[in-house]
This record gives sequence, structure tokens and C-alpha cells, in this order.
Amino acid sequence: MIRSTLFALLLAGAACAQVTHEEIAKGAGENWLTYAGTYAGWRYSPLQQINAANVRNVVPKWVYHVPGARGLQTSPIVYQGVIYVTAPNSIYALDGRTGRLIWRYADPRAKANGANRGAAIWQDKVYFTTTDNYLVALNRHTGALIFNKQYADVAKGTTSTSAPVIAKGKVIVGSSGGDGGMRGFLMALSADTGEELWKTYTIPAKGEKGSETWGDLIDWGGGATWLSGTYDPALNTLYWTTGNPWPDYNGSVRPGDNLYSCSLLALDLDTGKMKWYFQFTPHDTHDWDAQSWPVLLDTEIQGKPRKAVLHANRNGFFYALDRVTGEFLRATPLIDKVTWAKGIDAKGRPIELPNIEPSAEGRWICPSVKGATNWMGQSYNPGTGLLYVLTLEQCGMYFRSSQQPQPMKNFSGGGATEEGGQVVLRALNPKTGLRVWEYPMTGLGRMWTGTVSTAGGVIFSGDDDGNLLALDAKNGKHLWHFNVGEMLTASPVIYSIDGKQYVTIASASAIFTFGLFEPAESITSPVIEIKKK
Amino acid sequence: MRVFAAIFCAAALFALPVLAQHGMYLSDSKNPAIGNPEAIAAGTKLFLGSCAGCHGPDGGGGARGPNLVRRSLWHPLSDDNIFQVIRNGVADMPATKLSDDQTWNLVAFIHSLTGPASTNPVPGDAAAGKAIYWGAKAGCANCHSIRGQGGSMGPDLSNIGGSRPLAVIRESVVEPAKDLYYLGNEAATVELKSGQTLQGVAKNRSNYSLQLVDTKGTLHLIQMRDVKKLILSDTTPMPTDYAKRLSRAEIRDLLAYLAKQDIRGKESAQ
Repeated sequence: MIRSTLFALLLAGAACAQVTHEEIAKGAGENWLTYAGTYAGWRYSPLQQINAANVRNVVPKWVYHVPGARGLQTSPIVYQGVIYVTAPNSIYALDGRTGRLIWRYADPRAKANGANRGAAIWQDKVYFTTTDNYLVALNRHTGALIFNKQYADVAKGTTSTSAPVIAKGKVIVGSSGGDGGMRGFLMALSADTGEELWKTYTIPAKGEKGSETWGDLIDWGGGATWLSGTYDPALNTLYWTTGNPWPDYNGSVRPGDNLYSCSLLALDLDTGKMKWYFQFTPHDTHDWDAQSWPVLLDTEIQGKPRKAVLHANRNGFFYALDRVTGEFLRATPLIDKVTWAKGIDAKGRPIELPNIEPSAEGRWICPSVKGATNWMGQSYNPGTGLLYVLTLEQCGMYFRSSQQPQPMKNFSGGGATEEGGQVVLRALNPKTGLRVWEYPMTGLGRMWTGTVSTAGGVIFSGDDDGNLLALDAKNGKHLWHFNVGEMLTASPVIYSIDGKQYVTIASASAIFTFGLFEPAESITSPVIEIKKK
Repeated sequence: MRVFAAIFCAAALFALPVLAQHGMYLSDSKNPAIGNPEAIAAGTKLFLGSCAGCHGPDGGGGARGPNLVRRSLWHPLSDDNIFQVIRNGVADMPATKLSDDQTWNLVAFIHSLTGPASTNPVPGDAAAGKAIYWGAKAGCANCHSIRGQGGSMGPDLSNIGGSRPLAVIRESVVEPAKDLYYLGNEAATVELKSGQTLQGVAKNRSNYSLQLVDTKGTLHLIQMRDVKKLILSDTTPMPTDYAKRLSRAEIRDLLAYLAKQDIRGKESAQ
């Protein structure tokens, strides 16, 4: 009797506090419930306990060294004081106040290599994907497996690196592997069971509309979706960007614009149907994935109020489109030195300069293969009205190989090198596309870290020397920094527990968490009684 | 205490997460015998005839020979090293005059003992074991879950066959108190200064904080400065009477079912 009562209680336990759609849609606060903090992609926190006036008092609170980790790219998810961080094929739940490990789940037999950029949360489950495309759902309290379902075949060149985004019970997962030949897609899976709900390819099949922009290699055309996208609940539309066409550097084997590579796609959440697309770089030959996520913002552009979508592109330009219709509104230079295009024409197509294709001898082009920005990500602060973007001033040499393309053999039709370069954090005015201020960094252009900004008027960002730094969101003035002692390859997030605000970031190998200084408190051990069985 | 035992029923597998961190079987050999069912079968015969006397019938150790399964988890030998030990002997163990093929068959058998249970042929009826697992007599599901079904006090068993050798699973079921590693699964009752009392398992605990999953499966993050009294158990909360409660055949079938639980396997619990 006792046992059956307790069993019933255990089952009833599943009904306790659950993450809802409304909570995620509300945006970050105490919790950080989706990759970019908000569905609109703002990486913005309304918390202001840590602010521009007191950020100089921020100190490290705890560090968790992720066993065996190198080059962590995880953006933490936080719910009720628990931080969920991922490494390739593993996930860790940590106590947000102390950094103590609560549970971990690892799948060391996963096939394929690659990074992992984070988890997702819904109801009482946390989710992440393995390198070989299993969606894994775990009990958020205990780490117990609820289900794991493989949604794509690694033998077809597809791997997984991005954090899932969950909207209205649909887990949206992307596809990676576009540099080796694969067919990119975006998929919605049921958050309850992992079953496929829809799958939309980013590259048309032979004979479909858009396939006339390819040659014979269309089956392996790339267009990966390797970074989490954004979502507009009012329009019920997902905004997702796509990667480069394959083979990356040899465009002669794929004549045409290569739709829908290097594009922004607007898809219906319920059906996956494409509402519109916009291609930033037709027939890309420089591996300029359109990767950084689209930022959704209602603002005035060219004197008219717009439901806009903003995108800082690897190709060197900063775009504004109408997110209802996909209409091109404006493009401005993101970096100082762009040598492949004179500008963007009235329809949004680049005005290309001659001699920009990679060659056997090599072609010196700006920006470099890393791009004017990449996946580090940006943040928008409604308080200042500014968008903060990490940009890279760098050029590089692009080579083309005349070898016959072979999918899934690590073949990209050539190669690229990059030289020198400088990372510059730039504040852009979304209304004009113009720079308001900038913060140039020392370093070798090797960082992969991004930003978060707060209602306290602070931007937290990584720099190119392994420092987490705080800048004044109004003017870019340096306020504080902390050297984590290794490269930063992920972006910070903000949360609070027990009324205390924290900022946390994954360095290459560890999770560093900071808060305001408080004098230490002596802790007396409680009475501990050991019971004999 | 009775209530306590009823809450925490099946939990010997508590020892396993610690073991797992100390290395896996080191297979650097490309010899075709490794993983080959015929070689393993031939190795089994040889082992039972010549090795089991000292090392026990399942390699679990005997009066004169060490436990080959546990040893390999803590200090893994490569297949080539095992081959050399069988060929040349070591300490009190004599050298052998087996052919290369026979010796590799033995290595293949030893490898199979220490590999995940799901990768090896396992005796018993998994379907019958499933009924035992989910039934009242064994009561495993009261505390353990598999793919989202069952209790949350004991370790999740969704991948038990995919991560542990059969001999280790067997030991955890029939001798749960043999190795007392409770990290992540320590039974705890917490009396807070606020007057609230929580009961469950401590997923982690230090002098300063405690992360507790209560009997309803809800996680609590507790600061030790808020704790008045902490009551812990000196042994595993898992019943220690499975060797008596279940028949030999029932244990064999239960193990066959557990061996199939693999997050990478096609077999699903439900």
C-alpha cells in the first residue's frame, strides 16, 4: 500500500513546474530559455542589478571545468537556477549558484565529430542533439532519458551542431556539414515524442522551382542550417539562414545562383512551407554562409515603420528586410574593407567587382573566409536602440582546385587562408544601418565569442584575447574585464537566482560565472546523522 | 526505516557511474577474432576448461585469480597485452601452449566479458525479464526509469546494457552493497531551518550546498547554511535480497532484459 501510494506520487511528480511557450516567448529574465534569449534573437536581458555604475564590482563566483572539453561553443540555457550546458554529445546540469554538477548525460558512441552550441528546454524536458543527428530528450531534474530519436542520416553527410529552438511544442533542428557536400534542411520534431512533423530542404530537388540555378551537383548542394534561427509568434514564422553552396570554392561546377544557399528563409512554423526567401550572396564562392541569426525588430526604416528583420552577413554587408514580405530595404557596409562588391543594388543583389572568383594561384579578397562576422552573434538593446555586432576586419587568399568534386570526402573545391585581422565590436543603428560607436580589440582574429546586453546599460562580450569584458551600452566605453586564460569560443548569457544576477560564459574548456562582490560568509555545518539500514 | 527501504528499492547500480569514469575496455587490436561470435564461443569453451577454475565462470574472480571484468575497467589492458599474458603467464599464472588462434579466441571471450552487455550474446529470456522488471515482485520501476517510465530515485537504466558489462550489472543486482559509491545517488533527508523537510537523493553534496531530487522527482538547490539537520544512510537504499527474492532463472532473465537497454540499440523498453 505504501509502495503503490509512493509510486503514484512519483508519477504525479511529472506535473510540477513546467516551461511553457508563454515563458519562452516572454524573453529572458531570471531564466534564459532559448538560444538567443528571445525568439526575436535579441540576446537581451531586462535584469539591471548589475549595471553600468556597479559592474566594476563584478567578481568570479564559480568555475566548472567540463571534463575533456576543448573549444566549447555552448550557449547555456537557464531555468530556475539550473544551468544546462553542452559539449559534443554530452550535456551537464549545474547549480547556477555554486557550479556544482547535478547530473550529466553522455553518448560517447555517437558517430561524427563536431561542436555543440547548446540545449533547449520545454515543459519538464531538456533537449540537445548528438553529432549524428539524434534528438535527445531528458528529464530536466534528473537527467534520465525520456527519448532519443535519429532524425537524419550521418551517412548522407549531415551532422548536427546547433542548439534546437522550441516553439509551440515543435523542436526545430538544423543541419550541418555543408562544406563536405550534403543537402541542407530544417526540421520540426514533436517535443513529446521526437516524431518528424515536417522537413523543408534548403536546396530544391532536381526539377523543382529553383533547381534551374544549379548544375548536376544539386543533390549535394549544401545550404546547411548550422545556427539556431529566430521566430515571430505573431506571424507564426521562423526566420532561418542557410550556409554556402558546395563545393565551396569552385563555382564553375554549379552554374547559377544556387538557390537557396547563403539566404534567409521565412518558413511557416506549422507546415514548414516557405513564405519567402532572400539570397544575400548568389553563387557564393568564398564560403560566406549567411549564418548569424536574423534579428527581428519593429522599427522605422527610411522613414517608414517596418516589421523588419536585420542581418549582419559574412559577405561584409548589414541588411534590413521587411519580415512580412521579404522585401529588401537597405544594405550598408559592416566592415571598412570589402573588395568583392561595390555595394548592394536596389533589389538587394551585390554589385560584383571583376576577378573575385578563387583561382589556382589564389585571389586576395576582403573579407576573409571567416567573414565580416560569423556565428558569434549580436545583441539588440531596446534601451539604447542599438544593435551590437562583433565584426572582423580581415582579408585572405582564396584558392580553387580543379579536382573532380567528391561529396563527403572533406572536399571543398579549393581552400582559403586568412592573414592578420582585427576584431571590432560595433554598435549599429538599426534605423540607418550606420555605426554609432566601435570598440577595436587587440588579438589575432581568432575569437568566436558573442555579446549579450542588459537593461542595466551594460554589454558583456568576449574579446579576442580571452577576456570577458563589460562595455557601456550607450557609448562603448570599457567598464570591466576578466581574463579567463584561454580563448573564448561561445557567448555569455544572463540569469538570476535568489534575487542575485549572474553572467555566465563558456570558455574553451570551462563555464565561468560572475556576480557582484559580496563579503564571504562563514558556513557552519548542520547536524549530520548517519542511519544504519 | 521500512518506509525508507520502500522508497528506495533497486539501487545497486549506484556504483557504476564512478566505475565508468575510470576507463573503458581498451581495444587496440584488429584481430578478426574480437567480436566474432564463433571465436567467442570457442573461447568460452577454452575458458571454462582452463581458466574458470581460478578466474570464475564469468570472469568475476575466484579463489586464486583476479576478477577480469572489474580489473579491466580500472586498469585496462590492450588485447595484445592480454594475448601476451595468456601466452607467457604472469606472477602465479602459468604460461600456456595454445595456438595463436586459440589464444585469440580466449582474448575475444575476455573482451566480450568486459564490453557493454548489449554488444554480447547474453543468456536468458529478455521478454520474461521485462515482465519481472516491471512487475511487483522485483519492483525495479518503483525507483529506476527506462525511457521516461518509472521512478526517479535510482539511476536511470535506459543505457545500462549499452554502458556496463554483464558481470557488473549482475553484481549490482545481487550484491548491491558490495561497492558503496553513492555519488549522485545518496539517500538523504533534509530538515531545513525554515521547518520544511525534504526527502530524496542527493545528486551532489558539499559542505556548502546540496542538490536534491525529492521523492516526487523535483530538483531542489539547497544552501547548507539553510540546513538544520541532514540524515544520510550508511548503505545502499536498494534491497539487498534479490538473490533470495528472485530465482536464478528470474535473475538470468532480468539480466537479459537489462542487457538490452541501450540508447544506441534498436530494442526499446516499451
